[in-house]
Amino acid sequence: MHFRIPVFLIASLLSAASSHAGLVWDEPLQQYQRTPDDRAMEAHFTFKNTGATPVTIKQLRSSCGCTTARLDKKTYAPGESGEVLARFVFGDRKGLHRKTVEVRTDDKAAEPVILDLRVLIHDPLTITPALVWWKRGDAAGAKTVQLTATSEQTVRVKSVTSSNPRLPAKLTTAKAGEQYVVSVQPADTAQKESAEISVLTDFPIDSPRTYIIHARVK
Amino acid sequence: MIAQVFRQLAFVCVCALLPALVSGAWQLQWKKEEPLAAGEIRLATARQWGDAVQWVDARSRTKYERTHIPDALLLNEDEWDSLVGPFLDAWDADKTLVVYCDGGSCEAAHKVAERIRADLKIGGVYVLKGGWAAWDGK
Repeated sequence: MHFRIPVFLIASLLSAASSHAGLVWDEPLQQYQRTPDDRAMEAHFTFKNTGATPVTIKQLRSSCGCTTARLDKKTYAPGESGEVLARFVFGDRKGLHRKTVEVRTDDKAAEPVILDLRVLIHDPLTITPALVWWKRGDAAGAKTVQLTATSEQTVRVKSVTSSNPRLPAKLTTAKAGEQYVVSVQPADTAQKESAEISVLTDFPIDSPRTYIIHARVK
Repeated sequence: MIAQVFRQLAFVCVCALLPALVSGAWQLQWKKEEPLAAGEIRLATARQWGDAVQWVDARSRTKYERTHIPDALLLNEDEWDSLVGPFLDAWDADKTLVVYCDGGSCEAAHKVAERIRADLKIGGVYVLKGGWAAWDGK
């Protein structure tokens, strides 16, 4: 008598597990490398219902408002394949980003599946730092910004222009296409100042990018 | 007879003690605060800092415009390039920046905080544990 309940429970659990094989995903983790100019990307997460019963996808939940996920339909018969299309809009993001989509089905025995999209948004030119600033009353010395092209891509800096003549900027070429230095020096630091310094490049050729360096006297 | 009464009493006490212990352990676990990730602070700490805090809202513009922490500045990665200039105009170097997003793991707030540190080289930047949900008391 004492053994009946556990044996029954185990048998039920095994039975439930076998009849709920459910969706099997081909590549739930996908990794990509893109540039900011790509603006967005789509990833296809394909799956197959390997179970003996139909599976209905009840919910797709993205980790970020920048990522949407959609399905052609919700219910998949045994043996049927489908895909979740995840679209990630970059906005002004850079660097490594991980976006996930949680998939819940009507299969109560199955844990939610996490689809994992990892994208390295790789800017061909790095600007360090993107801000130079002085406190009011500080010595009005020059501050420098390093512009460095990645090893895979040559980026030529054609010019730099400051929006404020009291915070002028000067461009020096350390190694053409690879390394530049922008020097910013305020006329004085007696009052609050603000400038955006536009860095005009030759990349990409069809639509050259302009980067911004921020300068402030606070 | 007395021995039997004591045995029954002892049995009742044990029966009452077990669920009490389980309930106590459950509640202690429930109340235990989640540990802070690197760079995170709790709302109570930020409140202690008072006016020395500059709140930074890393949520979407729509959510910011609906409601936000008083005097918070909007700065998110969707619109970083257009928002960072006005953010820097309003930025007070003497204040500590505390970035918040919706809640949960607050990845968006961590990304914005990381970018303030790495791109702008501004130090003293923290992320609010629990984000807007913690502020809103949800």
